[in-house]
Formats: sequence, structure tokens, C-alpha cells
Amino acid sequence: MDHGIEKLLAKVQKPGRYVGGEQNSVVKDKEKVKTRFAFCFPDTYEIGMSHLGMKILYGLFNQREDIWCERVFAPWLDMEALMRENGLRLYGLESGDPLCDFDFVGFTLQYELSFTNVLNMLELGGVPVRNDQRGEDDPIVVAGGPCTCNPEPLADFIDIFFLGAGEEVDLEVIDLYQKCKAEGKSRKEFLRLASHIEGVYVPSLYQVEYHEDGTIKAVTPLEGAPATIRKRVILDLDKVYYPKSFVVPFLDIVHDRAVAEVFRGCIRGCRFCQAGFIYRPVIEKSVETVSRQCRDLCASTGYNEVSLSSLSTSDYSKINELLDELLTWTKDDMVNVSLPSLRVDGFSTELTDKIKTVRKSGLTFAPEAGTQRLRDVINKNVREDELMKTMDIAFGAGWNRVKLYFMIGLPTETDEDVVGITKLGQAVVDAYYNNSNKPKGQSVNVTVSAAAFVPKPFTPFQWEPQDTMEEFQRKQHLLKSSITTRKLTVNYHAADTSFVEAVFARGDRKLCAAMEEAWKRGFHFDGWDDCFSLEKWMEVFEAVGIDPAFYANRRRSFDEVLPWDHLDYGIKKEFLIEECKKAYGNTTTPNCREKCSACGAACFKGGICVEKRSSVV
Amino acid sequence: MKNVRVWFEKKDTARYISHLDLNRCMSRAFHKTKLPLWYTQGFHPHIFLTITMPLSLGMSGLRESMDIRLTEEVPYEEIIEKLNGALPLDIHVYKITEPVMRPSEVAFAAYEITYEPENRSAEQAKEEIEELLSREEVLVTKHTKRGPKEFDIRPYFADMKLEIGEDGFLHTQLCLPISVNGGVNPGLLKTAAERYLGLEIYEQILRTGLYNEKMESFR
Repeated sequence: MDHGIEKLLAKVQKPGRYVGGEQNSVVKDKEKVKTRFAFCFPDTYEIGMSHLGMKILYGLFNQREDIWCERVFAPWLDMEALMRENGLRLYGLESGDPLCDFDFVGFTLQYELSFTNVLNMLELGGVPVRNDQRGEDDPIVVAGGPCTCNPEPLADFIDIFFLGAGEEVDLEVIDLYQKCKAEGKSRKEFLRLASHIEGVYVPSLYQVEYHEDGTIKAVTPLEGAPATIRKRVILDLDKVYYPKSFVVPFLDIVHDRAVAEVFRGCIRGCRFCQAGFIYRPVIEKSVETVSRQCRDLCASTGYNEVSLSSLSTSDYSKINELLDELLTWTKDDMVNVSLPSLRVDGFSTELTDKIKTVRKSGLTFAPEAGTQRLRDVINKNVREDELMKTMDIAFGAGWNRVKLYFMIGLPTETDEDVVGITKLGQAVVDAYYNNSNKPKGQSVNVTVSAAAFVPKPFTPFQWEPQDTMEEFQRKQHLLKSSITTRKLTVNYHAADTSFVEAVFARGDRKLCAAMEEAWKRGFHFDGWDDCFSLEKWMEVFEAVGIDPAFYANRRRSFDEVLPWDHLDYGIKKEFLIEECKKAYGNTTTPNCREKCSACGAACFKGGICVEKRSSVV
Repeated sequence: MKNVRVWFEKKDTARYISHLDLNRCMSRAFHKTKLPLWYTQGFHPHIFLTITMPLSLGMSGLRESMDIRLTEEVPYEEIIEKLNGALPLDIHVYKITEPVMRPSEVAFAAYEITYEPENRSAEQAKEEIEELLSREEVLVTKHTKRGPKEFDIRPYFADMKLEIGEDGFLHTQLCLPISVNGGVNPGLLKTAAERYLGLEIYEQILRTGLYNEKMESFR
């Protein structure tokens, strides 16, 4: 380790974040590899190390002898201050070399409020922040993850965005890079060639023109770049690469366990949920593959817990079969199985019997809205009687702490819907006391969390205005004052982070100026209360002459050109318009397994879209 | 059932593993080896494992140990080999023995320390520290369970010999009390040097061994 860094470690909290050396981390000889890739997670070590996508790509890249992939996380405030003070650059944990020494610097964009960390990390690593300032010797800066479905606020800073699943496209781009380097081609030429790979979006090859009112007039491809960029999909999850080992951190991280992905996508189509649309179609892994992967991971890491991951694990078509298969070896190996993301209607006695090891500490469900009408509007398709049935099972099985997640500010929401949240919470409290099998002598604790709704691209609510902050505050107050029992706790978070999130989620390239200004003013860790300041953000918007309400609180018309219209996630705009209209009519849409709604994802010719066709009687 | 003592080195990147994290790291390594270890019998069984006098965060150790319980006899060589295959590089198991002493018998620890003065030359720092230790008392604030307490470190450090090495840094060897109820942390000298002399030091502490009351090596 660099002696300068070592000296700083004596002065920071949790030095284990900055040293590497963990079990299964990969160290190679840099003289013997062709391409060096710095995989950057724009948040702390504990959060980044919990991220499955990073583990997959880290393993995939390092499997190749000619590529060395390292991990980089955002240094926490104390470490960053010391690094700046001592003139030390942000480095890869495996080699200790600064970011500017790498061929590729790749970011995963998980949430909008981490964007400032992206710019800050580039600067700390000695990489020019704007893409037009990078020369032949600078790294190629790439980014993937859910936020690349509207990456426009970062268009001035990133060279290449990857759309959709990264397993294939990332390697294709690295191969092209090696070829271009061998042939002595320029950076510009490489980017132009890369733009022809499916799933690759090179923002500098697109010109955006605006109307006088600030809306987009046209997005024009330059130098032969394709007019639309389609996301990549992995059609066979049994064949695609999956790591046999994870880097096992010393520190206690957020999700410290083996994880197997059971499927991608979600059958539900909740209208507020971006993941439910951008990851279509649903593609499942086989029971055998999941079980084998879990077993390999436990053997290589020593973890004694495996988690079955997906957007909604109880929707896995063979969930009971899978649990039976896992139980054939997990018991003897002293391994526990955990199931996150259970739906209210997916919780059964059969399931809880099989995962006995679930700790009785608390259960979490997400009804999302307080009344049936509003749940129909958002297509949540969970009925109150289903929730009550689930609660009865849970209370009967000994649980007495329940968390319920809701959103406020959903389209068409009235005060009745807001108060409906506490009413539903109260009904759960009552269900506990009416349950004859409830834990003896214990009281119930129901926590209701209400998040502020952020409209996202590629959802039927992408045209919707977000509630103003005054309106959010009024609704939060209404919610709080409607509680009548101490068994019920209501939590909500200040709406100001949701406001900035809403600005960038549906932002266009004009916001790059705000990003740059924020970075120059030293913004970082905006997803953390330690750092976020709405006041300072408003000053930034003011300084660059941007009205944030134009992005957060404006209703768009269906015929407006949206900043992400040239990106193709398979979902047709007409389908989203149809869904939006159905929302206003309180009409639900059946899930993908019940009936195909012709969203457009069938264009990928795989997953549930094909299975359905073959199983039509 | 058989109790055994596992001896290991903990250095370089492993210096930054705290006691709690080391516990977890060891449990995982054992879990991976599938060795016949005794698990606690509660609702959430875990491997029975006790680390003797865990090191403070940032210190290295040459003769660290932990006690485990085997449910079947396994050749010691096999345990060493399997464990080293499952542990990160900077933790290295080198010996397994039957425990002779109880961890509660530990009374002293020996250290080798390197001081790298940041705002003085080595010569000047040496002089100033020696002068400091010749004073009547040298107080530092110790954080105890009952809150902060002023503590005189002089009796423990007064005999310390500082030498300037070829690397231009100060080197010393120390023996300080340590026990299950607490002890004297070698890092306190740095704290005192900052407080009294405004001397900024980067220190590297290596614990070379543990001893009982009679200064017999912990076995």
C-alpha cells in the first residue's frame, strides 16, 4: 500500500474501507494485462460492496486474462478531506493506482443523487471531468445501471453509456478498444465505432435542439451514429456468466451474504415503478442453476446466508420447488435462506415454513397506497383482504412488528387517500388484537413509511408533475395528525431530496451545467443527510439559470419530445400513454403471466413474452 | 470435544480489521473449510471461537491466537493448510497447539514500535520525547467505561529506549500491562506527544507476544 495513504488511514473512521486485501479480491500483474478497468461505485464502500451488478462484472472482467478490473468507492468525507489536503489521488483498491492510470473508468448509476459523486470521484482520480476535455491518454469513462435510461444530465461528462444488461456489451466494447488501440485509432474514432454496438450510447454523437419554451425540438445523431439506441438483454440466464465467488469484505456491509439472482424483470407493471418497465421481459433462471450458484458461492466465501434476489421473489414461478431444492443441502451446510422483496399476496404458510430461519425481527410489505382506488390507479393489484390475510398468517406465526411502505404524491391522490394510509395501518393493528394465535403478552408495532413520489422515465407516469414541496408538507402533516394510536408510527422523509431527484430523473442536457456547477462547489454524497442541502441546490440552479420546477413540477403533454425518447427499452410509448390513461380511469392491467398487454418488450424475443405464446392453449 | 489454540500473524491490510470484523472473518474461514467445529447451540448457531486479547485497530501482531473447539480429531497440519486457504493473505496461521495457559493469565504484552515524526526531525523528536518522559508526570485522557479519566503514562514509558534506525525513523521496544480488564495502550505515548509537544507522529505498532505475571510466554 502507498505509504502516504497508509498514514492517512490512522486518522479516518473505518480504515478497512480503503485498504483492499479482502478474501477473493483479484490482484494481477499490471504488466501482463492489456486493459485495466476501474469499476467505480459512487457511494461508500459498505453500499457499493453490497451491489450485485458490481460483483457480476468484477468476476466477468477478471475471468479474462487480459483484463484487470479493480474496485473504487467514494471516500467518505473525512478521507476525502485528507486526500485533498495531502494531494493524494483516488485509487483502485487492488493496485493502489490512481484512476487516471486506467484504460476504462466505469460507474454504475443507481440513483440520481449519486451523480455528484461521479464527478467528484473523476476529479479525485485525476481524470478530466468533462468528456470534451479528455485527450488520447485519458481513460474512457463509461457508465451503466438503471439511471442510464435517462443519462442526459451526465451527457457532458461520460463518454459511453451502456443500456440494459452489461454482461455482453461491456466485453464487446473492451474488445473494440483493444482492437482500436492495436491499430492506432484515435479516441474519437473508437467512440464512433463503439456507437454502432447495440446497447452503446455515445452522448457526444447526438445534438439536442430546444424550442423557445425549453422543451426539446429534436435529437440528431452525428457522424452516422444510430438514431435510436436499443438496450441489451440477456436472454438465457442459465448460460450467462455468474460469479462463483464474491469478494468478502472485512467490514460489516449493508448486504453481507451470498446472493443469487432468480430472475430479471417483473411481471407486475406497477405504474410508478421504473424497474418494472426497464427490465422487461421477465427472464427466469432454472431451479438447478440457482441452487448450484448458491452452493458455489457459499463454498467460496464461507457465507452462511444466501439471499434470493429479484424485484419480487415470490413471483418466481417455481419458488416452492426452489426452496425444496435448496433445503436439500443448506441444512447440513448450516446455511440460512432469506427472501427479500416478498409481495403481500406472495406470503404463505408454506413459504414461511420453508424459510423458518427468517428472523422474527420484523416484516416489511409495500401496499404503496392507502385506498383501493389509488392502488388501482398505480396498478399495485394488492387488495386489503389479501393484506389482512397475510397479516393473520404473520401474527399467527409469531411476528409482532410490521413495516408498511407507502408513497404520497401519487397521481390523482386526494386527502382521503392520504388518510387511508393511517386507516390501513390501524386495520393492521386491529388485526393483531383480533388474532387468537398472536404472541402472548406482547404488543404490536406497526410502522408506516411514506416516501415522496418521484415520477420516472419509461413509466406511465413519466408525463406527471411531482407534487410541490408545500403540497408534500401539507400531506405529511395530514398523515401525522390522522394517527390515533401509539401502536402506529408514521415515518416520512423531508421531500427536498425527492425534489432534486425528480429534477434529474427527467432532466435534459441543460442540467449538465447544474451538475458541473454543483461539482465545482464541492457537492458530494447528496443521497446522505450529512451533505444534502436544498438551499445550496437552489443556489446552483439560480447560478446557471435553470428553473428546477420545469423538470419536477411540470405536466408534459403526450406529444412532447422527452429527453430519453431516442433510447429504446423495448417498451412502446403508445403503451405507456395507454397505461397512463387507464390509471386516470382507475383501471388495472393484468400482470404478464395472466395476460400479455403488448407493451413492446416482445421485440427482444425471449423470456415470458415467448413462453406465453408457446403455452397458449 | 477438543480445545485447540490457533496461532496466527495479522499484518498489513489485516491491521485494519477490527476485533468484531476479525471474528466474522475467522468464522467464515472455518465455515468454508468445513472442519468439524463445535457450534453454539442457540437459536442462531455460530462457531465457538474466542480471540485472546484482540489487537486494537491499526496494530499488527506476530503471535496472535484464538481458541476453538473441535468435535473430532483432525491433524493440526490439515487445519493449518485448510485455514490458510480460506483466509485473506495478510492473516497467516502458522501453528496449532493445545492450550496451556488460560487467557485470563495474560498480564503483559511486548511491542515493537516505529515512530515517524511528521513535523520534526527524528533527532529533535527523540530529544523532546526523552525530555517529556523525564518529567514528573505525563497525563493523557483515557476513555474508560465510567467516562474520561486523566491517566499518568510516565511510569510505563519512562524506561523506553528510542533509537534512530537506518530508515531515519524512531524505533523502540516496550512491555506494557494488558489483561482481560484492560491495560495500557502503547498508542498513549503518541497521544501525550501531541498534547504536550505538539508533535505529530505516524506510528506503526507490532505486538510481538503476550506474557503472564512471571513473564513466561503465553502458550
